Amino acid sequence: ENADPQKTAFVLRKAWTLYSVTPLYRFRRSRLSEYARLLSAFIAAEKQKGLAVEVGVELDIKVALSSLADLRGSELDQAALLVQLSSRSRASSKNSEDKLVWSGWFCSMFGDDLSENVPENFTCLPLFLTHGAESYTSLVGSWFQKTFDCCFRRLAISPLNLSWMVAMWAGYKLERAASAVELVFSVPRLSQPLDISYAIHPEDAKALWDTVQKTPGEITQGEVDVFMDCLCAHFHRHFKIHLSAAKLVKVSTGIASAHCDGIVKILHSQHLPGVLMLLTELAISQIQ
Amino acid sequence: MDPTVAEYIRRTVLKMPKDEIKMMLQKWGFLSETQLQTLNFHQIKDNISQEVVQLCEENSADIKQAAALDIIYNHIYQNKRMWSVYQMKKSGEEVEYFDIADFKKKFKRRIRSALKNVTITFKEYEDNAIWIRVAWGTPYKKPNQYKPSYVVYHSQTPYVFISASMLKSNLPLLCQALLVASNYHDIREMELRSHSLNSLKDIVFKRYSQNFQTYTPKPLQEGNVEPENADIRIIHENGSEKERIHRLNQEIFGSGPQPKLEFAQYKLETMFKSGPKMDVLNKKEPFRCLVKFSSPHLLESLKSLAPAGMADAPLSPLLTCIPHKARNYFKIREKKESFVSP
Repeated sequence: ENADPQKTAFVLRKAWTLYSVTPLYRFRRSRLSEYARLLSAFIAAEKQKGLAVEVGVELDIKVALSSLADLRGSELDQAALLVQLSSRSRASSKNSEDKLVWSGWFCSMFGDDLSENVPENFTCLPLFLTHGAESYTSLVGSWFQKTFDCCFRRLAISPLNLSWMVAMWAGYKLERAASAVELVFSVPRLSQPLDISYAIHPEDAKALWDTVQKTPGEITQGEVDVFMDCLCAHFHRHFKIHLSAAKLVKVSTGIASAHCDGIVKILHSQHLPGVLMLLTELAISQIQ
Repeated sequence: MDPTVAEYIRRTVLKMPKDEIKMMLQKWGFLSETQLQTLNFHQIKDNISQEVVQLCEENSADIKQAAALDIIYNHIYQNKRMWSVYQMKKSGEEVEYFDIADFKKKFKRRIRSALKNVTITFKEYEDNAIWIRVAWGTPYKKPNQYKPSYVVYHSQTPYVFISASMLKSNLPLLCQALLVASNYHDIREMELRSHSLNSLKDIVFKRYSQNFQTYTPKPLQEGNVEPENADIRIIHENGSEKERIHRLNQEIFGSGPQPKLEFAQYKLETMFKSGPKMDVLNKKEPFRCLVKFSSPHLLESLKSLAPAGMADAPLSPLLTCIPHKARNYFKIREKKESFVSP
């Protein structure tokens, strides 16, 4: 779990779009450079077919695949697999640097629930995170699907899971200048839609959680419910509005933020394993 | 023509939607109708703006005219800017005759006495609104035309609407100039902000429908009509509750359209009170929160919460007081059962 912070720095402070991925059939770690060439050729071919990803600019896309041994929970997990797409404009000189245009990585953080039950030729990396244009995600996803017979699905995060995240993250030890614990609710079906942002001072949110959580290191659904009920009750006391009837769409703390459309941002390397573990669990439930 | 003026005019034209350029140039009145006829409005905007600049060259436009064009654009697209509201106070009760020329002179003089490098432009509109555009420089730099402040003043009222987009450091000078020019002695910023200038005016000038108790001979308005079917066995569930909510909404919000605000913000510093059975937080210090409501039309949205079952009726006074307290920023501290907002 002691990941080299340099290797995992790319994860932090970026908004990642989440997908669940079914196990990859006949994926071989030793053939990464071959896969990179094949993917590169695939992208070039798709562009030729007219599925241009960048209009007006001639770009060569370079593909790099690498393994990240540090990004995993235990030895039972597969090492994470990072895919990076870089571009170099044909117009510029040979000396110009490649520009990273898209990254995506497959990961399993304590995903034993899934890997225990799959036959030998399958590689389990149930969580897929992307950053960059949707068109590239589509290309990369299609190639992996074709090549390894796997299936990608957007990972939505339910209000229930969002409330787990906010309760859990609010309880973590605070940094000096921690940001607020924010919950964003949406009430779409009115004549005019309404968004409500409810941001609590991090010390006060933690103080509340500390009185709710009975056993350190363990969180129960009951405790999360009490925490959320308290927040809703405080809100109702002032505004007479039932937040519980609104849709929780986003939660944000100094540790990380998560949006119901399956987008997360992680801010501290210290909590990276914990957050990834939670997301791996969500991905696995979606697959099974 | 000064090249910076040319560039400024070019960029101002580029901001305009293509099908509105001709109308705005006509309102501007600086180019003659004949000159406007020579413009080809069917080419790309880049070319249109270049042609406009060329015509301005012919007429030797200076920064005053360019600023006038900017006011026209910003008056039409006033809702792109964020407006704050300021209220002025007079010392005496005398109603003085308002002399617009005097106002302009005093305003310019006050600003220029502190800062030479400014561009000040006025435009009056039919609704008694005086629009003032001020581009600010420093003692050593010419005014930055791209970040002007806008002030809208209705001379018959103590209210000024300001859209700053400038360093806060120029605000005191602007306020002083307004006081001097309008003969008031004090000015303070209200806790009221919105993109919709007209809604801000509606609120402070009380132009929206208020919660008067009006006598209506019929007990109900539209929305709660008796069903057409004659089968009296069919009744509306919670019919009386729905009626009660509807009636309360009418009383609180009135039946006319609400002023259009986009958000309301509450800084809560009240105590956390746990429910009767909950063994939770019982601190002596306040539970600090910041709540922000946003909507394309906030007041209409809030009005629809109780009928949708999302809120109790009557809605909290913290929300319903927004128009008549003329504020959408609040700081709430504990005071027994009610709230205190400074």
